[in-house]
Amino acid sequence: MDIKKVLIQAKKDIELCSNQRDLQDIKVAYLGKKGKITELLKSLKDLSLEEKKNTGAKLNLLRIEVDNLIRNKSDKLKIQEINTKLQNEAIDISFPPPNSINSKVHPISKTFDEVINIFGSMGYSVAEGPDIETDYFNFSALNIPENHPAREMQDTFYINDKDKNDKPYVLRTHTSPVQIRTLLDQKPPVKIIAPGRTYRCDSDSTHSPMFHQVEGLLINENANMGDLKGTLIEFCKQFFNVQNLKVRFRPSYFPFTEPSAEMDIAYEIVNNKIQLGQGERWLEILGCGMVNPIVLKNCNVDTNIFQGFAFGVGLDRITMLKYGLTDIRSFFSGNLSWIANNGFTIGDY
Amino acid sequence: MKFSYSWLCEHLETDKTAIEIGDALTNLGLELESFTDYSSYSKFVVATIKDFKKHPNADRLNICKVDDGTNTYQVICGANNVKKGLKGIFAKDGMYIPGTQIHLKKGKIRGEISEGMLLSERELNLSDNHEGIIELLGNFENGTSAIEALKLNDPIFEIGITPNRGDCLGIRGVARDLSAKGFGKLKPLKFDKIEHLEFESPISWNIKNDDNSCEYVVSRYFKNVSNSKSPDWLQKKLLSLGLRPINALVDITNFITLDLGRPLHVFDADKVEKQLDMRLANSNEKILALDNKEYSLDVNTTVIADSKNTLAIAGIIGGDFSGCTDDTKNVFLEVALFNPNSVAKTGRSLGINSDARYRFERGLDKNMVIEGLEYASYLINKICGGTVSKNIEAGKLLKHEHKINYNFDYFNKVIGFELDSQKQKKILSNLKFQIIEINDKECDLLVPTWRNDIKNKIDIVEEIIRIYGYENIKVSVPSTSTDDVSKINNSSINKKFKAIKKLKKTLLANGISEVVTFSFHSTKAHEILKGDATLKISNAISDDQSFMRNSMIFNHLESAELNFKKGFKKIKLFEIGPIYNSSQSQENILSLLISSEENKNSIYKSEKFNFYSLSKLLSNLISSLNFDIKQFHISRSTSNIYHPGQSAELYMGKKLIARYGKVHPLVMEEFSKLKDTYAIEIFFENLPIDSIIRITTNNILDSQFQFSEKDFSFIFEREQNLFEVQRFVNGVDKNLIKSVEFFDLYESKDLGDNSKSVTFRVTIQSKDKTLEDKDLDQLHKNILEKVSNKFKAKIRS
Repeated sequence: MDIKKVLIQAKKDIELCSNQRDLQDIKVAYLGKKGKITELLKSLKDLSLEEKKNTGAKLNLLRIEVDNLIRNKSDKLKIQEINTKLQNEAIDISFPPPNSINSKVHPISKTFDEVINIFGSMGYSVAEGPDIETDYFNFSALNIPENHPAREMQDTFYINDKDKNDKPYVLRTHTSPVQIRTLLDQKPPVKIIAPGRTYRCDSDSTHSPMFHQVEGLLINENANMGDLKGTLIEFCKQFFNVQNLKVRFRPSYFPFTEPSAEMDIAYEIVNNKIQLGQGERWLEILGCGMVNPIVLKNCNVDTNIFQGFAFGVGLDRITMLKYGLTDIRSFFSGNLSWIANNGFTIGDY
Repeated sequence: MKFSYSWLCEHLETDKTAIEIGDALTNLGLELESFTDYSSYSKFVVATIKDFKKHPNADRLNICKVDDGTNTYQVICGANNVKKGLKGIFAKDGMYIPGTQIHLKKGKIRGEISEGMLLSERELNLSDNHEGIIELLGNFENGTSAIEALKLNDPIFEIGITPNRGDCLGIRGVARDLSAKGFGKLKPLKFDKIEHLEFESPISWNIKNDDNSCEYVVSRYFKNVSNSKSPDWLQKKLLSLGLRPINALVDITNFITLDLGRPLHVFDADKVEKQLDMRLANSNEKILALDNKEYSLDVNTTVIADSKNTLAIAGIIGGDFSGCTDDTKNVFLEVALFNPNSVAKTGRSLGINSDARYRFERGLDKNMVIEGLEYASYLINKICGGTVSKNIEAGKLLKHEHKINYNFDYFNKVIGFELDSQKQKKILSNLKFQIIEINDKECDLLVPTWRNDIKNKIDIVEEIIRIYGYENIKVSVPSTSTDDVSKINNSSINKKFKAIKKLKKTLLANGISEVVTFSFHSTKAHEILKGDATLKISNAISDDQSFMRNSMIFNHLESAELNFKKGFKKIKLFEIGPIYNSSQSQENILSLLISSEENKNSIYKSEKFNFYSLSKLLSNLISSLNFDIKQFHISRSTSNIYHPGQSAELYMGKKLIARYGKVHPLVMEEFSKLKDTYAIEIFFENLPIDSIIRITTNNILDSQFQFSEKDFSFIFEREQNLFEVQRFVNGVDKNLIKSVEFFDLYESKDLGDNSKSVTFRVTIQSKDKTLEDKDLDQLHKNILEKVSNKFKAKIRS
């Protein structure tokens, strides 16, 4: 019998085969109804029982082996075909993406958020007032009467429209009128901060006609100047992220607070950069004081029971100090490359 | 205010150094703004150029032999005033030059050794002068220190005086405050009173109809004076503070203003008539003042005048006509007490910032009137000679005593720590308060006449802590109560800030950056955007900032154009801030602008930005606030900022929630560089942010049963609002219809001009079972019938 020959031939055929269709033909040629191996199996009937048994076993092994060879070849061909297909689908993965700029929020937004959070953790809720204020709220109620020299501390923008007291509206020169609005609206205890836009007619690298302040106000039965000092030191430590912070409180004057103070923090220049916290030089950070009883009376607060403190911080200024920015005018220029360089991404905001 | 250490020491007997004084001033609330001290300049010395020759390798340089008294040095010098015998200021190798901020280093300049430097004024920070090296005129010995040669031994303080401290607008007042702090002893003011007041003043005063602006005026007449240059000591004093000496009479008044804070005025008596009136000006009255400017006065201005001429603006500035000159022979001295309010008002309306106004409007020490008169008389008499008249006065110098009742416990309550009454009393008495004891806890205080700012007991507390030292206030932090926390949680403004933050994060995630622009509009923007007339700023800095804005779009277009010019091709920016509807109405809105050129990148393609891209973005923003855009009513926008055919407004009831679309081509004409530009304005303050709880919608497929989808096509009228259709279809069966999604719009001549074909897909699912065909068929039929009836729509096969 040429079982061996058949096997050698089958191996050769399968080996040389290069696609599934040919392989299918090979399968039919050997294992199909009229295939070579099938024919051989059919011819067993003419053999003796002994030979039948012997040859039958051999033929069966041959059938299994050829079938396996075909299966293996089929698997191999499949992988080859997929690989060829994938190779044809390859694209240029090195084509550079278009230049893009991270979208960012303005540094002042970051500061707003931090200020609201830090004071929020100390129990201050947020209050608001309008940018276009009455003369009374911006000045008189805050103990800055007309013709008082303190009015000239602040160069005021006036609006060409008069309020019911026949006084022109002003662009608020500070966030302090929110103190008055809040005290007229809520009964003490009051614990608020009021961040917002403020205006003075002044323009150079450190002054902008529009800038931002946050006002703070705490009125209860016993808030004292030590509390004021402690609150503001805590705020500065958290905001500037400096634990060892050297500060100075010195007397100052604001008509709406008495006693009044300004707070400075120490700094030194290290490698041409301002480093806050220690050193022999001082940077003015904010103005503050105990709310003048005259102001509380203007808001119908009983000064025999209630007292408290207020403070005002220039938000652009502390932002500039924290991030080493030098020109306030660039804050409001709408320049997207400045924002890209100095702003904060979604993860950092 | 500026003063020198030596001048201060004429009033203050102290052993404190200038640096210690400087610190104390700040701690007293008299903030030290600058301190000029040259003590480190002792290392620079006088040296003489013995000889010089041209540098062999440089035309402009000279090689000088310089003698500093101990050695001779070779110095290469480029100054054009080098000459033999010149005495200058010399700095040796290794010394720090303050003006250039460098340390000198011995070395060769173009091949020739240089062992030091002859200094210019700029190199010593004395002035900006860098024309040549300093050339000393006196005959100083070589080696004399620069401090002596240049007379730099007197440090200069410059302090900021807050408006309440009029008492410190004279050097004597500053000395008085320092002495209260324990920084020395106030010296008595030394001068001799004029013994012989020989005659009646030929000029007299008449206060009439002055609107109470002058309380009191007192004068003396000086006969036969000789006015010329001031004596050296007086000139030097004025020069040390940068003031130009004029003539003795004028210098004396300036000196007393600075020294005592007491402004006074001298008239050339021969240029005025016998009677001087203190009166309100007539309309049309004019005066040429000493600053050489002519001022037009109004009927609220108090002037000093005779029957012919307007002589001075009361308390502010004298007139040029009656001023004292070198030829003045007879002088009339005026010492007056003007009302701070009227001086302030007049000064402000005329825009005159004189030393006199500055002091009068802050209030003066009444006791200083006579003191000022005597002091000035003494100096005039001593310097200019002549004889002095008796006093001539008008008005009344009312004695004004201010008494405050004070309880010592009040300090503890306000400041937060115990300071015993003895210590408090000590401080008050150092400040020259008169203490009238009532009992252990309480007293009456008489306020010193120079402290017009002290009115209430809280002012007393400030005075005590000011002297005791703010550094001694004990630090504490108020606790946060649960009440505080619940107030924060319930505050609608806190909630608004949270909503703003959500919006900003969504904007960032969509690639849009934040800008902050001024709240202003130019006149042009105001006109184009039809802002309210009450938004005009009366005293705007420039035409660009002359109105309050009623929209941010113009600001953002300007910003976009600026960025485009800088090379940005794709501009996406937003701002959250105020816009103003009128002087009495403002709101915070979100405004964003997208302006991009066509994307030419053939690999990284992106669809062209259009109205529908904008809608999708708006929908994202709205959903970040937990609202669904489909719940609002949509209509075309009538705003003239937008393209009328490609813009929309969303409303909740009557409240405008958003306005968005393509910017109107006429508006864009102002910004010709920019291509297709779109904007969104979200009026988020109109949303009920306060009441937001997370909304759950039923369009989320959360059932385990099979869902089915069915597409519907209808032909509607062209202006049919599809938001309404969508809401209506959703409502056909609220339980089964999970979503209605529009995905095709077709307009064509075949349909007719007034029609559009619209296709949407309805997703249907039950919570309870798998729907059978008959259920579905019924629902489909329902939708077809109801929509075609409701909207007169044709079903498209």
